[in-house]
Amino acid sequence: MTRRERVLAHLAGQPVDRLPLMPITMMFAGSLIGARYRDYCTDYRVLVEGQIRTAEAFGFDYVNTMSDPAREAADCGAAVEYFDHQPVALVEGQSLLADKARLLSLKVPDPRGGGRMHNALKALELYQQRVGKEMIIEGWVEGPIAEAADLRGINTLMMDFYDDPAFVRDLFAFVIEMELRFAREQIKAGADIIGVGDAAASLVGPGIYNEFVWPYEKQLVDGIHALGGRVRLHICGNTRQILEGMSRLGCDIIDLDSLAPLTEARQKMGPDPVLLGNLNPVTILRNGNPDDVTRAIAECHRQAGPRFIVGAGCEVPRDTPHENLRALCAYAHSHRP
Amino acid sequence: MPDLKQLYDAVVSGDAKTAQLITKEALAAGIDPLKLVNEHMVPAMDEVGRRFEANEYFVPELLISARAMKGALELIRPLLIARGDKPVGRVAIGTVKGDLHDIGKNLVASLLEGGGFEVLDLGVNVSPEKFIEAVNAKQADIVAMSALLTTTMPAMKTTIDALTQAGVRGKVKVLIGGAPITQKYADEIGADGYSENAVGAVALAKKAVGVA
Repeated sequence: MTRRERVLAHLAGQPVDRLPLMPITMMFAGSLIGARYRDYCTDYRVLVEGQIRTAEAFGFDYVNTMSDPAREAADCGAAVEYFDHQPVALVEGQSLLADKARLLSLKVPDPRGGGRMHNALKALELYQQRVGKEMIIEGWVEGPIAEAADLRGINTLMMDFYDDPAFVRDLFAFVIEMELRFAREQIKAGADIIGVGDAAASLVGPGIYNEFVWPYEKQLVDGIHALGGRVRLHICGNTRQILEGMSRLGCDIIDLDSLAPLTEARQKMGPDPVLLGNLNPVTILRNGNPDDVTRAIAECHRQAGPRFIVGAGCEVPRDTPHENLRALCAYAHSHRP
Repeated sequence: MPDLKQLYDAVVSGDAKTAQLITKEALAAGIDPLKLVNEHMVPAMDEVGRRFEANEYFVPELLISARAMKGALELIRPLLIARGDKPVGRVAIGTVKGDLHDIGKNLVASLLEGGGFEVLDLGVNVSPEKFIEAVNAKQADIVAMSALLTTTMPAMKTTIDALTQAGVRGKVKVLIGGAPITQKYADEIGADGYSENAVGAVALAKKAVGVA
């Protein structure tokens, strides 16, 4: 079976020859091909080359378009800073929606308008040509709270939940409209799966998550499904308090960070959802040795059970020793679900 | 005479308006400003920290409580300075050079302020020179650095080396934190302390200045 067939069969609950393998790499992939990370973020050809070569070198089942959280915000006109050797970052001191009234005149940018979103679409089209039959192609959108934080400023947004809940809902609605438009174009361009990154969701408790964030995440997940895409949800950080809500979103893959134990996730989510993760990317994958990695991923597998995909809790750090990443991959290559 | 329990409650619940109002009334009634801080606001922020650790409060709740506390402190601080009262200690805090992610740093800064420290918030993307300046010009007792990325954490070592070169390393305690940081890393680069969470960072800072 091809890598693509393996992942799709696993998601559909059909038998597969081995565990699927889908770790997130970004700076690691850029570094592997000797590229400046600035170019990885801004030139789709560099990103595609880095992803394909990393997937080939380590036997991943997929490639992705992720490089930084600022793709959509930059196209909206937000101030972002580019660095030579690290991800593009938002400049919160100059946040686009420092003045809330600006939301009223903010237009959803055209994903094919020549900006950073367009760059991601070109990456997907190139993936489709080069590895479309072989590998899973994953696009990426920001989730409601992550993108709202990018546009408004994360510190301010956190207080908006109490100060101006109606504004938060209007902002989330804008974000969902934009992300669904971006997701539609990504699926047209060849994405099998859309990753939804909603990092800031781990900063709020279950009260705010269920009242504000969940309904918009649900709209996004349902919208992507209606477009024919599958969804991988990734929330960086400690999600223990919101696991139950995450499980009700109906995502195809729930990719957990290392702070949320898989045992707990499985207990709260039941036997069906496919869990991905989640060994500690820094203390185990980057700082440990191959034996540590093998032990940790075997334990993740034991806790998650058969509905499991091998990956780290978050991005594979740039300076991860290759033998450690090989150990992670070897586990997937040599184990059935 | 205002009910000072309301000041405590206003900080815990993040009600900035009431916190300022009660503080104004209390000061007008001649209540010792230091008493307002030590007997009402510091215990309130301790309670906020406790709830944060117990997963009863999360980042939004902590930030609105910190805002309420800061609003009240703005009224009180000039009075304390005028009569020469000293803070528990002075902390220069910032995210390291190249790192723009500041929410963790802001949580620590708020809890430090709630713990009676004077906080010199140097913001994000702070160069070693700026930390050195804070030590020299503002007599900071503690330099607190944060990094979210494995790619920016080496700037912590650069900053510690720069403090040493500038001849001020012996004057300050250096505390570090952030998602990729470990105790091992803190030991390797010669930091004086590391905490994996904001509440622990305050305990560490108190220990560093000898008040805990």
